[in-house]
Amino acid sequence: MKFTKDQMLKLYEELVHVRTMNDKIVEFIFGGRIAGAIHPSLGQEAIVAGLMFAYENTPYEVWRTGTHRQQAAMARTVGLDGFLAELMNRATGTVHGIAGEYHLVKLDKKLLPHSGVLGVTPPTATGFAWSLKLGGKTNAVVSCPFGDGMMSEGYVYEAMNIASIHKVPILFIIENNGMAMSTPLEWESPIEDLYLRGISAGMKGSSIDGNDVEAVVEATLEGLDQAAKYNPNVIEMKTIRWGGHFVGDKQEVYRDMSFQEGLEKHDPVIRYEQTLLERGVANEDHFAKVKAEQRKLLDAAFEKAVEAPFPKKEDFLNPNIVYTNTDGLPL
Amino acid sequence: MAEMTGTKAFNVAMKELMEKDDKILVLGEGVGRKGGTWGYFADLWTTYGNSRMIDTPIAEAGFSCVGNGLAYGGYRPVIEYMFADFSSLGFDAIVNQAAKARYNSNGELSLPITFIMPNSGGGKSGNQHSQSVEAWYSNAPGLKIVTPTTPGDVRRFLKAAILDDDPVVFMHARGMMFMSEEVDETDMSIPSLANAGKIVTEGKDLTIVSWHRMLPRCLEAAAEVTKETGKTIEVIDPRVLLPFDIDTVVKSVAKTGKAMVVHEAPARGGFGMQVSAMIGENCLKDLKAPVKRIGGYNTSIPFGVGEEYAYPQVEDIKVGIMELLK
Repeated sequence: MKFTKDQMLKLYEELVHVRTMNDKIVEFIFGGRIAGAIHPSLGQEAIVAGLMFAYENTPYEVWRTGTHRQQAAMARTVGLDGFLAELMNRATGTVHGIAGEYHLVKLDKKLLPHSGVLGVTPPTATGFAWSLKLGGKTNAVVSCPFGDGMMSEGYVYEAMNIASIHKVPILFIIENNGMAMSTPLEWESPIEDLYLRGISAGMKGSSIDGNDVEAVVEATLEGLDQAAKYNPNVIEMKTIRWGGHFVGDKQEVYRDMSFQEGLEKHDPVIRYEQTLLERGVANEDHFAKVKAEQRKLLDAAFEKAVEAPFPKKEDFLNPNIVYTNTDGLPL
Repeated sequence: MAEMTGTKAFNVAMKELMEKDDKILVLGEGVGRKGGTWGYFADLWTTYGNSRMIDTPIAEAGFSCVGNGLAYGGYRPVIEYMFADFSSLGFDAIVNQAAKARYNSNGELSLPITFIMPNSGGGKSGNQHSQSVEAWYSNAPGLKIVTPTTPGDVRRFLKAAILDDDPVVFMHARGMMFMSEEVDETDMSIPSLANAGKIVTEGKDLTIVSWHRMLPRCLEAAAEVTKETGKTIEVIDPRVLLPFDIDTVVKSVAKTGKAMVVHEAPARGGFGMQVSAMIGENCLKDLKAPVKRIGGYNTSIPFGVGEEYAYPQVEDIKVGIMELLK
């Protein structure tokens, strides 16, 4: 597609937004201000930003699942303040700080459930996409991103198979960062191109450079379009995970660290800055301005979230959030 | 009144429900044209077709999750496993996904899905086709466990399970679905899952809690003991294990002072432990003897002719009763 100047500037802003959110998460964890294993998308911003942009620039209603590495996209879906508060376990969170960022589900914002147990998200999302089709809802699709690690779960094949048999409106996105937690791709899969498994389930599929934000947008828009025509399909987006599996994970113990050499060549933010400079769309002053704006916005948002109160004990232990009717309970 | 088997009762309940609620879908192996492995869904495909009677690949893990997804999308799916044992492949969908859906939305949504598990032995099919899996699911808050035994109860409690807005594990005694009884098919009431306990026979000297294939064995053993000793035994069918109707059991034990739980699953870690503990906690001052548990041997279920060696027999139950009545 041909991106307008405004669209390019917006895409750049999204990239910086995602990067800054990642930086803030790391800052808050190392600053001892939040606890828990959180998995930022450092190095993979083009995918997160590209998906956010595509979801907002497609004619279709996009229901989407999150992942543990797509905080910014989930925040965009459910609202930044609520999401950050959920991430920090605060009562102002999207679901009252009860579920946490990688368990929350918010149907009225089109955020479908994604599971802390890897593998089950794609078949669940497939079921939801099927409900759209069965209900006769047109121009509505499901986008289901997940990592290369999840591709080793049999559930994903079962999902692709069923989606393909019944032609449900779903786009599977494999965010291939080459690491399944601590296991490199060569020990995950004998084939490098994981989208081929979608092909074997009878879907169309492709593999793209996941560090090229415009390529991510183009492929996602096309994938959503195909999904809306009841052609479930798969896009593999190849990228590089910069950090450990979670903040604080000592990846040098298990990872060949040579990936760090020349890493800036793959940095999606730097790459897009070069593109914009070459096209004469923006200059260094603009980049600095956007970074300062995003820093200011997220500084304020993170402070606001962390200052909110925790949920109360009775909020966590409320039986009405376990059962719809509590006749005969406690059990 | 109409004479019907458990299989027929299941089928009648499905017809009654699907006619009224077009959000009810059935997913499982062979549930379409074939009418299901056990015939529970006979003739439904002719009426409702592929969009509501969905034949799945042999993919329990995947289709269980797909069912959850359909429930998120506003449907009321019924997922059938061929055997309760096979639900192990759907375990994550049930205990980690369905059971936690409401919590993870802070109570905004509920997942009205029912997992059908043909439980128990009687088919001589060996250790991966004959288990009673109540206890597998009883430690996962968010689930309800419905376990009717007789055809009339299968019909009414299946409807209650499917119409409940929470995820329900529906277990029935596969080996008893050929048994028939008179069922009042004009009774269209939907029973509550709370307070579901039913006193099957009244008695003064001992309370027995039992369900599925062990229930008729308990009734037979109790009748023999009464004939021989004149002592009477109260037999309770809980019909629903979660939420468990403890009140009915407590009232009975207050009267009899003695209690026993009998089920087909191995005694160790079986749901009888929970029942026994609840009786202990609620009835200590009434109890004249420790609660007795009789369950299957803590072994693998033998294939073929050896099957019944692993399950409690009428004689085993009778011996247990006599010990308690001493």
